[in-house]
Amino acid sequence: MHEVAIVDALIAQVEEEVRRAGVSGKVVRLDLSIGRLSGVSVDAIRFALELLAPGTIVESAQVEIRQPAAVVCCAACDHRAEVEQIPVRCPRCGSRELTIEGGREMLLESIELEESPS
Amino acid sequence: MKIIAAKKILKANDQLAEANRATFNAARLLAVNMVGSPGSGKTTLLEALVNALQGRMRLAVIEGDIAGSIDAERMEALGVPVVQINTEGACHLDATMIAAAAQGLELAAADCLVIENVGNLVCTAGFDLGEHVRLVLLSVTEGDDKLVKYPAIFRGSHALVITKCDLLPHVNFNMERAVADMRRLAPDAPVFQVCAPRQEGVAELADWLVQRRP
Repeated sequence: MHEVAIVDALIAQVEEEVRRAGVSGKVVRLDLSIGRLSGVSVDAIRFALELLAPGTIVESAQVEIRQPAAVVCCAACDHRAEVEQIPVRCPRCGSRELTIEGGREMLLESIELEESPS
Repeated sequence: MKIIAAKKILKANDQLAEANRATFNAARLLAVNMVGSPGSGKTTLLEALVNALQGRMRLAVIEGDIAGSIDAERMEALGVPVVQINTEGACHLDATMIAAAAQGLELAAADCLVIENVGNLVCTAGFDLGEHVRLVLLSVTEGDDKLVKYPAIFRGSHALVITKCDLLPHVNFNMERAVADMRRLAPDAPVFQVCAPRQEGVAELADWLVQRRP
């Protein structure tokens, strides 16, 4: 359940970003990217949010979670493909010279606030 | 209004981990994050390493456990400087805990700091502690399928230590499969086969660690 620690860090980060932007108001939406190879369960993130959000800045936020796939890139034949599992060889030419792009990220993309009339 | 953040969620942990790494580099200290299931033999391997590194690298240890100080007592019995962290239920160590624990150790008097993480193949994968090397343990009694079932922890590790190899004749563990799966997940990571209580294979691991000192 390291998702609890991740959500805890996320809430602190939202507080910091909002403070830094110098705005006040209710956070209504959060956009996150959690890569499919990040080792994090999106269900567990949602569960941890239910647990930790009440009483914090994100308590009434709608949370959108994008789950980008990993892209395997072959140095030999320039083949690029989205994969669920990291392959040993290029599915097209069989080369082992593969690099993996993305799929492991865990990002807070954006925060949407409903500004309170001052 | 919308704030575009585009920042890593564990940014705070990663930054602190980098600060820890800088501290370890300044002390010319090799920091090792030892991970593996409960009962995979982390403390027993550490005891064997104390022996194998005698006169080559001075060790210091941070023991991470949910509760108790049994492992720290085992290290103290060998005369190794040790700090115990009790996570009070948390399933992994993080960079903050290491920064605090490191203050309880005289880093300048050590060449290698081994951080024994909480026994867990899942949660420990997500938290950089500021180590140079992550060592993942797998005991033959756990089965050769763990690499496929918990790929994240193996993929991010720098070496695999297969422990309890003296039990190979008695268990259904396919060494070829385990080594091939590790090669697929972490092509550059060496695989060490050890029986720690008999010091078998431990010298090779000790040599590899000595070469990694910053």
